[in-house]
Amino acid sequence: MNNLQDVWSKRFNHYMTEVQKYMRFVFTGHLAIVLVFVIGAVGYQYSEWLKVVDATFPAEWIVALAIGFLLALSRPVTLLREPDQVYLLPLESKMTTYFSSALKWTFWSQIGLAIVIYIVAIPLLKAVTELSSGQIWLCVAVIIVLKYLNVHIEFNYRYANRGASLSIDRMARGVLSILTIQSALTEGYSYVIIFIILLFVYNRTLAKKVKIQPIPYEHFVKVEQNRMMGFYRFANYFTDVPHLHGSIRRRGWLNFIYSIVQHNQNGTQSYLVYRTFIRTDDHFYLWVRLTAISGLIALLVNIPIVTWVVAGALSFATTIQLKYALLSSGDFRMDRLYPVHGSQRKNAVRKVLRLFMVIQAIIVMLCSVGQPLFFVTGILIVAVGELTFLMTKDPSREY
Amino acid sequence: MTVLQLTDVTGGYTRKPVIKELSFTIGEGELVGLIGLNGAGKSTTIKHIIGTLLPQKGEIRLNGVTLSEDLDKYRSSFSYIPETPVLYDELTLREHLELTAMAYGIDEQTLQLRSQSLLKEFRMEKRLNWFPSHFSKGMRQKVMIMCAFLVNPQLYIIDEPFVGLDPLGIQSLLEQMDEKKKDGASILMSTHILSTAEKHCDRIILLHEGRVRAQGTMDDLRGAFGMPNATLDDLYIAMTKEQDHE
Repeated sequence: MNNLQDVWSKRFNHYMTEVQKYMRFVFTGHLAIVLVFVIGAVGYQYSEWLKVVDATFPAEWIVALAIGFLLALSRPVTLLREPDQVYLLPLESKMTTYFSSALKWTFWSQIGLAIVIYIVAIPLLKAVTELSSGQIWLCVAVIIVLKYLNVHIEFNYRYANRGASLSIDRMARGVLSILTIQSALTEGYSYVIIFIILLFVYNRTLAKKVKIQPIPYEHFVKVEQNRMMGFYRFANYFTDVPHLHGSIRRRGWLNFIYSIVQHNQNGTQSYLVYRTFIRTDDHFYLWVRLTAISGLIALLVNIPIVTWVVAGALSFATTIQLKYALLSSGDFRMDRLYPVHGSQRKNAVRKVLRLFMVIQAIIVMLCSVGQPLFFVTGILIVAVGELTFLMTKDPSREY
Repeated sequence: MTVLQLTDVTGGYTRKPVIKELSFTIGEGELVGLIGLNGAGKSTTIKHIIGTLLPQKGEIRLNGVTLSEDLDKYRSSFSYIPETPVLYDELTLREHLELTAMAYGIDEQTLQLRSQSLLKEFRMEKRLNWFPSHFSKGMRQKVMIMCAFLVNPQLYIIDEPFVGLDPLGIQSLLEQMDEKKKDGASILMSTHILSTAEKHCDRIILLHEGRVRAQGTMDDLRGAFGMPNATLDDLYIAMTKEQDHE
């Protein structure tokens, strides 16, 4: 049935554009900088450790546990939507084409991570086991077969049981996957075959159950919605996801800050902006997160120049993201009609950011107090914050 | 005295105008109803008056000034109740009132005085520290209404005020409007509830395809359509049929 193949292709293209749209922000955001630092540091530590690792280190078990556990988590990506429960209902018997495309994508999109983790572990396996290169690469093939089975079993299980007690199924598959990989890494190939046959039979049993059941649209739509919501929440750390409204918390313990604002016409936007910043989780936690990262690096890395670079970069990231978040808005707000000067909002945002960048500077400075010239960190954070605010464009002028 | 004056106003969201050569005035103490079919241009007209859209041609004067001549005077002269309530999720009811008071330069004492009577009138006294996420649609609408009446401006612009309000809320709103009218304030109200419009409006403006089809008192309109004794409902339907024939 060509028709449903088209439905899948269209959805898939739409989904990819959506993901790409947001991934751009993720990889240009502040987390990318931090990730580079973290990966560099961890990689260095790992290679140093490999030089001294003990031959009795249980590498096979650790690799098997990590990858086996990961393989058990094979949530299907069906791209089903709520209206499908109504509009695709008459096509129920022809949905197999759609789901087989969905499962192909599920497999290919999830296999990468397992393989990458295995490849990272190869130097370790070479250091502590006596496996030949051929045997090590044979295990990749085993992982691929396991992933294929896990994807199909999880889908069939969810289908047959409408998602009920999924954890039992996951546990069973996890244990079997772990044992299979462990056997493959300890040359127990007959066990590998037995475990794979077991999984295969399990899949066949479920597939038979699936055939006599209607499609559990409700469950799959919910799974899909949760998955997309998770993605949007993640993307929201880096950029503003329009249809995701950040939650609001009162944070009463910070009420004392509002007393800075004068209660007169000139204080109107400050009255609003201080509350918007402190009570909107997205804005407030962004500041908390970046301040914490900056502080941790100042605390753990005892090289002043690294502390300065990171503190400066994070001060830039904090200021620019909050400036955009607080100044740009496509939605109509009542304060657009207030008889107050147009520049009041910008000045209010500048004041809020100045206050919170000074607090960030003090926290990071306290974290780096043992380093020589530690006060430079504080001055740097405040200076970079001020400069960023001054030199970047005003997003409210785009409207 | 003329409070609001639109002269040959043409405008819309894009270059293609939605409202065309619109002209009407609202005098002191007048309640004027803006009536029209969906898409006739009611909301667009209101957006031009509050200044979120700028006219491509023509001029809008409020209290004698245009928006560009004296922004502060223009904006202090009106308050606006939108069709869908627009609230700040991060502000409590009390803070919405405080913010509005600050923006319009209302002192603490006046704020207390006015907000107390409004809260009582709309039965919201017990919800002062609530965030809007806990409000129903009607309550959200009431917050907008209270903020608008707190300002006590020369002109009230109210878009579809009765949708979502309970009968007591509608009653309270009509009473408030009546009271303000007596004090000399003017009101421009767009609505589909024609019986209420007929009963309460001093004058009616019938919009049709972005133009003023007819305006005046109920008697003026009956004359224009040649339908003596007609209700506003009859006139409205007559206008609809006119559109069908085109």
